[in-house]
Amino acid sequence: MSDRQGGETLDPISCAEAVEKVYEYLDGELDAGWTERVHRHIEVCRRCYPYFNFERIFLDHVRSLRLPDEHSERLERSVHRALGLGD
Amino acid sequence: MTDETDRKAQFETEALVHLDALYGLALRLTGGDAARSEDLVQDAVLKAYRAWDDFQLGTNCRAWLMTILRNTFINQFRSQQRRPSPVEFDEIGDRSVFAEVSGDDPAGEFFERIIDDEVIAAIDALPDEFRVAVVLSDLEGLSYQEVAEIMGIPVGTVKSRLFRARKRLQAQLYEYAREMGYVS
Repeated sequence: MSDRQGGETLDPISCAEAVEKVYEYLDGELDAGWTERVHRHIEVCRRCYPYFNFERIFLDHVRSLRLPDEHSERLERSVHRALGLGD
Repeated sequence: MTDETDRKAQFETEALVHLDALYGLALRLTGGDAARSEDLVQDAVLKAYRAWDDFQLGTNCRAWLMTILRNTFINQFRSQQRRPSPVEFDEIGDRSVFAEVSGDDPAGEFFERIIDDEVIAAIDALPDEFRVAVVLSDLEGLSYQEVAEIMGIPVGTVKSRLFRARKRLQAQLYEYAREMGYVS
């Protein structure tokens, strides 16, 4: 029997369907029904859980980048000059 | 003190303190091109100054400036954009790094050993269309819909660009990790 959430069926999904949604799931871009379906799948799937975990660690690493953002004195001078501000 | 002097002083205090952040975003959007990034920041700051009367003090000035910079970049990007060649697309394959490392390092611990500079270099090396999607989504934290609106492309195209860009990034980081002996 299909599980239901908010009137939406929560039929089990295949590995292929879960894998296709990996980034949308990790990016929080799926609606509540699909999020729950993917979540339920990876909770019990021996193949998909490690894959989702690997992709999550990769994304966390990219998103935690500390960007070098020190601007140059030349930029500061040119912006001040363009705005007519004293150095 | 004249009104104009007050305005400049206020702009300097509120807006120019964010030059570092603006330059950091510009560097990533341009793929590490310092000269182009400086021009981009200067254009964005001048636009912000001209629109300063529209800015509501007390709201998020940094976010407002970042939006102006992003829009300035995208306008330039769209006008200069050429169609990517089939070779560029072909080079971004769907290689599965996970399949290659799942035996030895299924948790992707090698990512943790890769220094930020290497990740930044890999992002900078992505073709423009892919790099911009990654910067806006992963570094700026924008939703697919927001990225689509900024880039003027459908949400489905954002998804596919992010997918391919991330696979390409993984492959480059994996190659680096292998060279460094972080993974066999």
